[in-house]
Amino acid sequence: MTVHYVLTEDAIPEGGRAVVEIDGREIGIYRVNGEYHAILNYCPHQGAPICAGPVSGTTLPSEVYSYEYGREGEVVRCPWHGWEFDLRTGESLFSERIRVKKYKVEVHEGKIGIVMREVEEVGQQ
Amino acid sequence: METKVETYKIIDVDVHNEQDDRALLPYLEEPWRSRVAASGIGYAGSGYYSPIGVMKKDSIPPGGGKAGSDPDFMIKQLIEGYDVEYAVLTGVVYNISSTHDPDYAAAICSAYNDYLINEWLGKHKAFKGAMVVATQDPLLAAREIDRVGGHPDIVEVMISSAARSPLGQRHYHPIYEAAERNGLPVAIHPGAEGGGSSTAPTAAGYPARYIEWHTCLSQMFMAHLVSMVCEGIFVKFPKLKVVLVEGGVAWLPALMWRLDKNYKALRSTVPWLKKMPSQYIREHCYLSTQPIEEPDHPQHLIDLFNMIDAENILLYSSDYPHWDFDSPHHILRGLKPEARRKIFYENAKQLYRLD
Repeated sequence: MTVHYVLTEDAIPEGGRAVVEIDGREIGIYRVNGEYHAILNYCPHQGAPICAGPVSGTTLPSEVYSYEYGREGEVVRCPWHGWEFDLRTGESLFSERIRVKKYKVEVHEGKIGIVMREVEEVGQQ
Repeated sequence: METKVETYKIIDVDVHNEQDDRALLPYLEEPWRSRVAASGIGYAGSGYYSPIGVMKKDSIPPGGGKAGSDPDFMIKQLIEGYDVEYAVLTGVVYNISSTHDPDYAAAICSAYNDYLINEWLGKHKAFKGAMVVATQDPLLAAREIDRVGGHPDIVEVMISSAARSPLGQRHYHPIYEAAERNGLPVAIHPGAEGGGSSTAPTAAGYPARYIEWHTCLSQMFMAHLVSMVCEGIFVKFPKLKVVLVEGGVAWLPALMWRLDKNYKALRSTVPWLKKMPSQYIREHCYLSTQPIEEPDHPQHLIDLFNMIDAENILLYSSDYPHWDFDSPHHILRGLKPEARRKIFYENAKQLYRLD
């Protein structure tokens, strides 16, 4: 395990994101309700730069013809085909088996660190 | 020379009994009775011409009358001729859904349902009935389902795929609610697509010829099925089963793939769907076989069947006495015996709870 301290906390405002490069991999860091979530900038569907997609809430599972909007700021939508992913888990909203790669984040003395294994493969599923 | 294929008991889920319009008179109230007595039922036809006609030519009863109108001849030619254990009588009255007056359409359906029960269902133990309702006024349809749906020989509710809008939409829901309440599947059958008050018969509009009209009937089924899934029919009515009758089979894999793919992107517009759309189809829908697609290479159809778990969702139908009748002895011969047994018998027996 290696922790890469890449940004200071003040670099990402609440609801914001930053894309950093670590060892040739682009990783998006999102600040959601005071917590940080890091994902590989690579959609598992067709490799789109997912961090270019909008972050929003979405309609939650509901009864027929009712709409429950929630998870504001927790869902990133792929900029190509519109697949939704939960930033907290990396899972797509249509199948728990489809997920964007997530990285653990550690904050130490105001610095945001991305936890990576020694060997990481880009685009793995 | 034909190879011998093991024969199985048969349940035929689409058999068209017919009657002279005047046969409904004893079952009609005024003012409808006088109307039918004076000028017949007055269906709105699709307007498409076929040189073959609708009926197969050997199905005219020896004593005269319309094909399918003589129960005794139907018993001899179809029930005994093909060793059919049960035949679901589907009539032709679903065509009334293309006419303009909702009250008249509902009255014709009620009269037909009483006629069916009184003059057909008791004639032979093989006869089971599809009660019919008109879709112009779904609340009247629901009332009719509650009125006759409990009859022991009524096994489903029939509606027409010729409608004014996609059949999943919310104003139709009372029909599905009533069908579920009465434990009856809802069957959808082609009708007078393009006629009367129904929509154009193809997505592109009105084709010139019957060959085009008939080929494109599958489009209606595709549109209705997508509507029923996306509008949440199977979430709202979790016990409901739907039978797509005579709408074709081969289009189903492509529709499932396309709908599932779109769901991945557009799930948020149908948040009540908790599973892949194709899963709702697999769990709630059946398709009747006739007119079965006949590719040059029979294996292609079997490959396609494997894509949709066909042996668990298909129901054999002959469409007797119509021109595009499928003989149970001559179709789907390449399937494995177990698959044939399910499609020709077991699936329908289970769905319609036939003993």
